[in-house]
Amino acid sequence: MSAPALPSLPSLLGTFAHLKLSLLRNGLRQSSGRKAVYITSLVLTALFAALELIGLIALRGNEHAAALTVPLAVLLALGWAFVPLFFPGGDETLDASKLVMLPLRPTPLVAALMTASLIGIGPAFTLILFVGSVIATAHGVAAAVIGVFGAALALLLCLALARAVATANARLLTSRKGREMALLSGLIIAVGLQFVNLGMAKLNTLHLARLEPLADILRWVPPGSALDAVRAAGEGSYGLAAGELALSAAVLAAVLWWWQRSLAAVMVSADASTVSPDASRKDAGRAADKGAGLAGLLPAGRTGAVMLRSLRYLSRDPKTRMAWVSALVIGLIVPAVNAAQGNGSIYFAFFATTVLGMHNYNQFGQDGSAFWMVLQTISSPRDAYAELRSRALAVALIAVPYTTLVVIVSAAITDNWRDMPMVWGLCLALVGALFATAATTSVRFPYSIPQEGAFKNVAPGQNGIAWGGMLLGALVSAALCTPLIVAAVWLHSAGATGLLWALVPAGAGYGLLIAWAGLRFAAPRVAGRLPEILAAVSKG
Amino acid sequence: MGQDVIPAVRIEGLWKRFGEQAAVAGIDLEIPAGQFIGLVGPNGAGKTTTLSMVTGLLRPDSGRVEIGGHDVWQDPAAVKARIGVLPEGLRMFERLSGRELLACTGRLRGLPGDEVDKRATQLLDVLDLAGSQHKLVIDYSTGMRKKIGLAAALLHNPEVLFLDEPFEGVDPVSAQTIRKVLERYTASGATVVFSSHVMELVESLCSWVAVLAAGRIRAHGPLAEVRGEAPTLQDAFLSLVGGRAGAEGENLDWLGGAR
Repeated sequence: MSAPALPSLPSLLGTFAHLKLSLLRNGLRQSSGRKAVYITSLVLTALFAALELIGLIALRGNEHAAALTVPLAVLLALGWAFVPLFFPGGDETLDASKLVMLPLRPTPLVAALMTASLIGIGPAFTLILFVGSVIATAHGVAAAVIGVFGAALALLLCLALARAVATANARLLTSRKGREMALLSGLIIAVGLQFVNLGMAKLNTLHLARLEPLADILRWVPPGSALDAVRAAGEGSYGLAAGELALSAAVLAAVLWWWQRSLAAVMVSADASTVSPDASRKDAGRAADKGAGLAGLLPAGRTGAVMLRSLRYLSRDPKTRMAWVSALVIGLIVPAVNAAQGNGSIYFAFFATTVLGMHNYNQFGQDGSAFWMVLQTISSPRDAYAELRSRALAVALIAVPYTTLVVIVSAAITDNWRDMPMVWGLCLALVGALFATAATTSVRFPYSIPQEGAFKNVAPGQNGIAWGGMLLGALVSAALCTPLIVAAVWLHSAGATGLLWALVPAGAGYGLLIAWAGLRFAAPRVAGRLPEILAAVSKG
Repeated sequence: MGQDVIPAVRIEGLWKRFGEQAAVAGIDLEIPAGQFIGLVGPNGAGKTTTLSMVTGLLRPDSGRVEIGGHDVWQDPAAVKARIGVLPEGLRMFERLSGRELLACTGRLRGLPGDEVDKRATQLLDVLDLAGSQHKLVIDYSTGMRKKIGLAAALLHNPEVLFLDEPFEGVDPVSAQTIRKVLERYTASGATVVFSSHVMELVESLCSWVAVLAAGRIRAHGPLAEVRGEAPTLQDAFLSLVGGRAGAEGENLDWLGGAR
């Protein structure tokens, strides 16, 4: 038997181009919701690209145009190198492990994967920006010719970088820890984008000349050099232009070589999912010790077990962790930012309390389909009450001290100590009211939280349930606090400021009472709706 | 089986529809106690739906289920204390380590802490999980997951154990471990009901089988009775559910030919 012939290079390129086109086309064959998102993103990208292109063309003739196009090229390359790491699964042809079983040698494979890379929305968008950059800076025929090569080189370099970095980090992209890190980095990217936004807004008001020092350095960093070659050729410095193009080509060759090497390495090394059980032993042992210490402090039985599980999830589950970190940070930042802008008010403490208190609004959804393990142990309203109470206690361990902290910080930055006791008392009552409503929303409006994706916190089709529950719950919580608000207003208008301190114990007591009543109200409903809750939270 | 003995599970007129499709279309079944019961059927036959309804995870459209004489939906306290469940396709609390998962489950079941920890140690040991007890369940292999799930289901010493595809994706070593534990458990008089589509496994483990296809029971009874004249349970099963017999090989004549 002779070995089957390896596919020829052109047919291989054709196959991969076809594969990529099919994957793109299949984007249109999803559910109508996803199709809408896909088409919207297509249209938005096209609009954005058109705007950028017009902007770049308008720059033509500006003597500092290259000061923008060079940093832009480097920024694009950086984006191509690192953004795919944070959004794995974006391009399925990026995943080299899916190609392992094909009888392909690395060199033709690199060529084929590169061809597949060239097809798509991202490459088209990038190419438009490079073409715009060339139009903005190319003066003369020689510059235009160099521009064609420069734009092509820059695009290839971006794509090769994306592929090479992704392949070198293949292990990271497929391991659990890597995916979870990516989940957290969503937060970092969101914050980082704010900074870029801020910078862009500033840039508009500045003169492009201010970018010259940056461009002076970046013109030696490919693909910046490929674009600067266009400017150089236009000014008659052909030697410089040739050198800059050669530099970009050399870096492209180096990146391709690195990519091919990591590709070969990934294809013959072991799958990450079969790491020996000892690998994480030390880590896990430590975690277990910590938990054991905590367990000793918590009550015995269901209460302690559920609290411990909730607190462990808080530190171990990436989604839960991110939600908590965001809530804690936002709760403190919003009052601080408003104070810095001169809108400071101690009443922003209510905002922080509400954001945190709403964490239990979908408490069974946080379990996901693991809720069946809870379901199997709830056979009466009493069991359900114990479960709800333990979950509320776990959140209260953080919410009550945090609320107190926010109230004190808000009082300090607004220098409003007079209203502090009143706000504190009302916040404590609000925490209780939020726990009370959270029990009911968790029963009436449970929804699934998808495990993957940093920005997806509601399973498709359950958005209405999620928002409805939160809105209704927040309104009812505020309404539940009415008696205390009335008391506070009355004390205020009566001028009995000395008595305002009485609102702290009153608020705490009222909060406890209303939380207890809310859990009591919800418990029989939990016990009666167990299979329905399980079905609602198992969609993720 | 005598009429006066209470069956482990009694199912009457059980129905479940998902939209137009009837996943379970009127099941009546009495499962005898103290035996190894196999619920067999092709993919999509309604095995998981049936087991979910029997164990209280899914509300039936109509019908009754009794376990040890107690109605699943009228008397959940009596039923949930008596059953252990290992569902298929549902997650566990996977951000806990194996030992933490058992500790949590036992306490939710209302067992005293010391007793939970003692039983957990023994179960982890017998199921060959002692070495991975501090690893998070999310990092477990399929076989390890099934074993820790089985441990969690056995922790409160249930009378009836329901296992949905307990051997699916499990390596032979883990499968043998699970088998040993289950055999020891039924020898004590408990009932194991498990679903599978692997006939050889059912034939070698079970003393009583029910064959499910398209949401209905096609045959049930002691293994030998269901097998009847057929040489193996596989053959009996294929003739019951109407498997495609004969080879459609002529279209594949290149397969195994000259290369």
